[in-house]
Amino acid sequence: MTDTEVEEGPHPGATAPSQPVAALPDAWPKGTDHKYVGSLFVVAALVFLVAGVVLAFVMRAQLATPEAEIVGDRTYRQLFTMHGTFSVFLFLLPVWLGLGSAIVPLQIGAARLAFPRLHAMSFWVFLMGGAMVTAAPAVSDVFHGWALSDPIPVMLGLPGQGPDLLLLGLVLVCMAAVLVVVNIVVTILQLRAPGLTLRRVPVFSWSIMVSGAVLLLALPVLIGAFGLLFVDRHYGASLFSGFTGSRGGSPLVWPRLFWFGAYPVLWALLIPALGVASEIVTTFTGRRLFSRDRASAALVGIGVLSFAGWGSEVTNLNPGARPLFIVGALAVLAPVALLILNWLATLRLAAKEGNREALRRDFRSTPMLWVLGLLPVLGLGLAASVVSAVDAGRDAHTNYWQVGQQHALFFGAATIGAVAALTFWGPKLWGRRLSDSLGKLEVLAVVGGTLLTVVGMLLLGLQDMGVHTSTFDSDEEWALGNLMVSAGAAIVGLGLIVLLLDLAGSVLARRGKPAGADPWGGQTLEWATPSPPPPHNFDALPEIRSDTPLLDLRVAQSLPAQSQPAQADSDRDLLSEGAS
Amino acid sequence: MAMVAVPATADNLPVPASDKAPLVLPSGVPLPGPVPGRPRRGTSTIGTLLFVTADAMVLGAVVAVYLAIKEGSPTWPPSDVEVGTYIPTMITITAVMSAFSVQWGIYSARRNDGRNAAMALVLTLFFGLAMANLEWLSFVRSGFGFNDHTYGTLYDVLIGFHLLHLLGAILAVLMLAFRTVAGHFSGDRHDALRAGAVYWQYTNIVWFVVVTVLFILSRHG
Repeated sequence: MTDTEVEEGPHPGATAPSQPVAALPDAWPKGTDHKYVGSLFVVAALVFLVAGVVLAFVMRAQLATPEAEIVGDRTYRQLFTMHGTFSVFLFLLPVWLGLGSAIVPLQIGAARLAFPRLHAMSFWVFLMGGAMVTAAPAVSDVFHGWALSDPIPVMLGLPGQGPDLLLLGLVLVCMAAVLVVVNIVVTILQLRAPGLTLRRVPVFSWSIMVSGAVLLLALPVLIGAFGLLFVDRHYGASLFSGFTGSRGGSPLVWPRLFWFGAYPVLWALLIPALGVASEIVTTFTGRRLFSRDRASAALVGIGVLSFAGWGSEVTNLNPGARPLFIVGALAVLAPVALLILNWLATLRLAAKEGNREALRRDFRSTPMLWVLGLLPVLGLGLAASVVSAVDAGRDAHTNYWQVGQQHALFFGAATIGAVAALTFWGPKLWGRRLSDSLGKLEVLAVVGGTLLTVVGMLLLGLQDMGVHTSTFDSDEEWALGNLMVSAGAAIVGLGLIVLLLDLAGSVLARRGKPAGADPWGGQTLEWATPSPPPPHNFDALPEIRSDTPLLDLRVAQSLPAQSQPAQADSDRDLLSEGAS
Repeated sequence: MAMVAVPATADNLPVPASDKAPLVLPSGVPLPGPVPGRPRRGTSTIGTLLFVTADAMVLGAVVAVYLAIKEGSPTWPPSDVEVGTYIPTMITITAVMSAFSVQWGIYSARRNDGRNAAMALVLTLFFGLAMANLEWLSFVRSGFGFNDHTYGTLYDVLIGFHLLHLLGAILAVLMLAFRTVAGHFSGDRHDALRAGAVYWQYTNIVWFVVVTVLFILSRHG
């Protein structure tokens, strides 16, 4: 690790209480501040989101009507590849890395990340990888599909340097992500404020840690896979083609290797969205999360079980192994459902014990609206996943059912979670709130459009339209589904444009209400410091006796003693109500 | 050799201002509470441990591909390949010796013995260079090319994976040796040294995996 010299200073006892905190110099230049570098990650992710969405528009324009000739089959397949690669590796991955590295130190009361310079380096490595990926299709044709496996990537199948550039770019992106993950996880393990035990880590930071653990184990598999595919293509090693007789090699290896890494990665990109939703639900109901320990356990459960279902994406499965992957792909859905029950129980209890006026007002706050919009998308995604799991390795993974399921869970739910996080923590990072009225429009457009798109995709799945279909005849029954998908995509795009203008207005033009330290009545430490926070994050921290120190303070001020036990009682009431 | 701690730098984190007026939250609540502490000990070591965990998964992917392709091949290794055991055995013995020499360095640093720590690290460097040299020899003497068959490719990729890590570890230990001579470490503050040792031992584990996969697991055909 590069930042070891931080460790070698004199013993803490030697420098004991000396300087007043406020007079400390800015310890790190801005280039390594975790809030700054985290924001850079988020900005880069949003740029790649726009790129991915523009590609999607061209594809949807092509498929909106039968027999359209906007792009040919070859171009369509390249658009398809780049759209998938952008969305997963260059949008969802960096957006969570960025939000995680910007918010987690604030949530756990740390002054910085464990390795600030490594963090800055990771961003620039990521950006270089992203640029290489973006440049690849300009050099020559790239692979078909984001699994890079259709057709099996024989060297002669795709001449030119484009695929090589794509693979090396993805290796750099994944390496940068691993370094950021190491950084964040070490920060959570080592730099928590006094009193903040691991069980008291706020639920978003917890979800980032779980997601980080999954990424730490799954991304390196993809690094190895991309590296070997590069060797295969560039040096003609034929490891994955197996069409060259005595030289050996096997075409069965690539899909297994890719999905062993990629399947957990997809789940890891959904987990932080669930953490964000938990955080927002607790904040806007003004009470603790129902059964926080079970919520933490559910998140860990998703992380562990995400490694069990990868085989369901592989089409030529061994018949003996298939039942195991069906069970694995189903098992990972259970903890997600449990977590949703936790949110619903929190809402129910807040309604029972709380001030209904305040609740009604808080429910109209933009972050809460995003979470309320997340619920149907997540529910639809889970329902579609049940079918996908049961149909492991068969039609539901080669036709549009697959597309619908992945867009509901990963584009839909994960992206909505990321946007909710931006509206929730954005005011903390740049000191201004986003527009409330535009926020309602954005929620309506993005959630409504996503639902329309996903329903259309699932319909096309039922009608067995293949994943890589680039055009269709007018006598096919696919016209309605495709029209729904294209219309939904257009609505989502509209919502995203409004969102980007809203963000630009708030960040660059400094419009919008000043956030103040605590715009939402937050419960965790990031709301105990000004917005935007000073470089060292905190001048002072409250005493930490639970995972919601600010809620404890508020309760102690309004109702001396008594309130916490009352909440614990109502948690028990709900449980016994369910039992009787 | 004297062990001198480096002076405090600006990145040492704030400590409580206990003699000042009570601190106040932005919401106006006065607080007696503590401010963020400095990182706990062992941060670099834990970071290195997490990093090598991820790195081991890359090796795992390569080994999985090796085993899958081996299972699917009629003869393994190809009939014209002569697998030598002399070079891998010598590398393994050197790796075991370097495992001890690196631990000797940590042991000395813990006892505040800079002279022995530096000697141990220099010895480790020699072992590392010897291993790198032998690995290069194993490429040259293998008798097959990178591209002749999938065995050749995977053989070179697996040994090259270790060689790359070994070169990184050699650079790290070289840096740590200079810092030891310069007196950067003391009996209770040598986290960077421990992180370097973790990485070195990890490269040794990589070698043991590579040897097991390439030279010990059964062949067929």
